[in-house]
Amino acid sequence: MANKVKPKGQTMIKKVLVANRGEIAVRIMRSCREMGILTVAVYSDADRKAMHVLYADEAYHIGASPSSESYLNITRILEVAKACNADAIHPGYGFLSENAFFSEKCQQSGIKFIGPKPHAISQMGDKITARKTMLAAKVPVVPGTETAITDDQQAIRMIHDIGLPVMVKASAGGGGKGMRLVKRAEDIESSISAARSEAKSAFGDDAVYIEKYIESPHHIEFQILADQHGNVIQLFERECSVQRRHQKIIEETPSPILTPKVREEMGKAAVAAARAVNYEGAGTIEFIVDNQLNYYFLEMNTRLQVEHPITERVVGIDLVKEQIRIASGQKLTYQQEELQQNGHAIECRVYAEDAANNFMPDPGKVTHITIPYGVGVRVDGYIYEGFEIPTFYDPLIAKLIVWGRNREDAIERTLRALQEFKIAGVKTSLNFLENIMTAPDFKGGNYTTHFIDENINHLLNEKDACADNCEDMVVISAFLEYLYRIRKASPKEMTALKNNWKDYSRIRSVLKL
Amino acid sequence: MSYEVKVNNRTAQVDLLQWEGAYVHIKVDGKEYKLDFEKVGKGIFSLIHNNTSYNIELIPGENVKKYTINTHKNTFEAEVIDAEAKYRASRLKGSEEDAENTITAPIPGKIVRIPVETGQKVTAGQTIVVFSAMKMESEFKAKKDGVVKEVNVKEGQNVEAKKVLVVVE
Repeated sequence: MANKVKPKGQTMIKKVLVANRGEIAVRIMRSCREMGILTVAVYSDADRKAMHVLYADEAYHIGASPSSESYLNITRILEVAKACNADAIHPGYGFLSENAFFSEKCQQSGIKFIGPKPHAISQMGDKITARKTMLAAKVPVVPGTETAITDDQQAIRMIHDIGLPVMVKASAGGGGKGMRLVKRAEDIESSISAARSEAKSAFGDDAVYIEKYIESPHHIEFQILADQHGNVIQLFERECSVQRRHQKIIEETPSPILTPKVREEMGKAAVAAARAVNYEGAGTIEFIVDNQLNYYFLEMNTRLQVEHPITERVVGIDLVKEQIRIASGQKLTYQQEELQQNGHAIECRVYAEDAANNFMPDPGKVTHITIPYGVGVRVDGYIYEGFEIPTFYDPLIAKLIVWGRNREDAIERTLRALQEFKIAGVKTSLNFLENIMTAPDFKGGNYTTHFIDENINHLLNEKDACADNCEDMVVISAFLEYLYRIRKASPKEMTALKNNWKDYSRIRSVLKL
Repeated sequence: MSYEVKVNNRTAQVDLLQWEGAYVHIKVDGKEYKLDFEKVGKGIFSLIHNNTSYNIELIPGENVKKYTINTHKNTFEAEVIDAEAKYRASRLKGSEEDAENTITAPIPGKIVRIPVETGQKVTAGQTIVVFSAMKMESEFKAKKDGVVKEVNVKEGQNVEAKKVLVVVE
């Protein structure tokens, strides 16, 4: 692709090193390919055969399988970036994406970090500072403390001021870690001590703060994009309340509970939040919303999120391309006025885990995978037949993203797509996800972050055996296939059965379903 | 010929009466079926019975008798039981019961919490160990009522796969 002459400060990125793995690395590389940008994969021992390595233009081994020795190894990653002349690094999500030090090191090395500046990351990474920043920007925050609590007695006084129930949270924490819920006055002291010691061991910092606990909470987040020229737009919301132990499982947009008025207010608050830290790039403002639609700033994620595809589907844009353009110094492609939500999108995260066995991760070799197709079906994955899912990273196999013209259509389509999605060799959460689609609380759009706990019996249901003799057909098929296989060794008996073989060169995928 | 086929939790008796070309006459647990049967690709079958169409996909398991089987909406684990399999099943019966009482790490991970202690009475479904691996936390629960006999690990300890964590009797 020829280098076009651009105004000063705007040089289109030519080669991106993706400092990540799995589905997001592949997804980022796809957009780079479309833009004519070269892609560089980095991989650990366990990922030599991973799809992002196969897909990229260049690939470099960076270390042993544990993340600390590979995907979190800043020195090694920067070495590779310099060696291959990458002019930008995309950190994906997780790993180094919200590491201010890494963003700083990239800057120092003259390599563009496709994400915000270090100060924005640290300002929003420290939860207490983030709250203060939001208050100054007049963004509503959950009622709570303004400074770190270092003294247990001080904490107890503040809790009485705020009113039970409260959440005690680690200031250096985030992503659902380092939190304690306190419902009763008698638990206050022990919860604070426990939270502080957990915070100390997990994050090296025992500073905690207190927030009012919102009953019946909804987790609703807003996507923003900000360029280097001061333009900020919001791309509407994602409803992420279907969570298990603070891990999101299903996300959808638009949210079934927001009114246009509240949506507009929250959108404006999200933009104000991004401006308050001079944000650049793609980011997400998380809010907690109660049943009366009162909304409060929870935290800001200064990176691209796992669930970004549902926004892409409903707004009609490619967020990774926008990130690259912003990092290249270009102005935002879109104006706020031209953005609309069109239809409804749902994302299901398919994990390699055994729902029936306490959701134990189930890594291993995938012996078979059938991806669902059809109108409005997108699958962001990286697993292929024969790939061994490693034990060192999270067990996300794929994201199923479905679009429908309204919420009901999207749910029907998601259910159909989940039924078509077949994975053998590892246990998956596919059945669990199907049960979410048929749960009355979910179908009614009436759920909070307690949804999974409240519906766990329905969700863990084994599927009903198929009706109409279908199970007998399975028995018959197993038996006949067994006969074929054992008779491979004795062709004489095969002829005796007078088998009727079809042409084996028929393309397999055309014949399925 | 008569065989047994196990599909998930059901064991069915299968008798093949006739197989000529695409015509299959077969009995499953005494129920007779006359089918039009075609193998349309490797591991893909089309069965038509009374004009109902069944598209069945078979994925080989660890040996020639085991399969993961997909229908349109469901997935099954199937196994053909012949004389050898029946013999092995009867031998394993004893050791299965012991397996229920030990909690083992299925993959490498970290012990987050052990909310019980040696000598403590536990009930079926009670959390015995909280285990963390692959960035997810899971709770191991007692399969039946009993008493905690051995706790072989400490909170915060990293363990390798197959390590016996707690024994309940």
